[in-house]
Amino acid sequence: MNSDDFTAKLMNDMDPKLLDFVRNKVNSFIKWDLVRFFHENPNTADSAENIAKYAGRNVSAVKPELEELVEADVMEKHVVGEIPVYRLSNQQDMHRLVDNFVNACEDRHFRVKAVYHIIRGMR
Amino acid sequence: MERVKTGIPGLDDMLGGGYLPQSANLVEGAPGTGKSTLGMQFIYNGIVQYNEPGLIITFEEFPQQYYHDAESFGWDFKKLESQGRLKVIMTSPEVTRHDLESVGGMIETVTAEMGVRRILVDSLSQFERLTTDPMELRSLQYGFINALKREGLTSVLTRESLMLFGQQEDNENSLAFVADSYLLLRYVEIESAIRKAMLVLKLRGSDHAKDIRQFEITPRGLEVKSRFEGHEGIMSGSPRRMSDYFEEAFLKG
Repeated sequence: MNSDDFTAKLMNDMDPKLLDFVRNKVNSFIKWDLVRFFHENPNTADSAENIAKYAGRNVSAVKPELEELVEADVMEKHVVGEIPVYRLSNQQDMHRLVDNFVNACEDRHFRVKAVYHIIRGMR
Repeated sequence: MERVKTGIPGLDDMLGGGYLPQSANLVEGAPGTGKSTLGMQFIYNGIVQYNEPGLIITFEEFPQQYYHDAESFGWDFKKLESQGRLKVIMTSPEVTRHDLESVGGMIETVTAEMGVRRILVDSLSQFERLTTDPMELRSLQYGFINALKREGLTSVLTRESLMLFGQQEDNENSLAFVADSYLLLRYVEIESAIRKAMLVLKLRGSDHAKDIRQFEITPRGLEVKSRFEGHEGIMSGSPRRMSDYFEEAFLKG
């Protein structure tokens, strides 16, 4: 086993659901920030522009990430008036997954693994 | 007449028993005077004392901040949310406005599902960023307030005053006209100490206290104390002793 394989094996050592969540749903640092924000403020429902302000980021960076979170069923999008409004998915399973992810991030080892997978996914 | 009690010690007496049902109640004050605390207490007491589920709509502070602030008074907002008796929603005035105008919007749905009776909107000052036209602003606020009443909600609406001390600034204050009651919170400097004063300026269709009362933010929340005695010009922020006026009138005059 070469060192890359060993690292990959070590980094894959996490709950399979969370591994899938990190690889396929929260696969960027902006999405990580957004998921954390919506975990802490779960009933937020607002436009991409305002969510970008809450996250302290540029809307051009945040909007595509919000759209991808909607595609991944982490978030929902509703058009209110003519404004696209984003909020956390109403699905209990997804709420639980987000809770588990944010709680797991309290552990440094989990964070290191999550960072590894996000960086690998960005290559 | 039926009243919606705030449960805040001393405030219901000032309001002649409480707010009127399905009324819109403006609370105005400078930063730190206790507007949000008063609003949170109105919601919390509604849930735990009067079994009336509540909704908090915040346009500025993160819900996380409300959970934290409430906890410092011993009010477990997260638990109430998990019980389906409270929801703290962060959104913006533009979204809320369209949401309330539409049929089956988020607020309408949550109100129906939870049986919400009370709402805190913190703060309505944020509506001022939607337009610079005073007439349009008044129309927006009027529409918003009527939508809350349509949903059967008794609301506390906060509004920021930029003046730390003294009289109301001269800018547009159409909210005072469209709201059913108007409660003013002020800092007052008396003998080199800062105290807080409260005055009910308006309560549509009902009698109310006309005097200026002291209030404090205690570890249990806001408590209204006795009226200010022996001072004039409380709402100016720098009151003077009544005896000084007599001295001026009789000795210097």
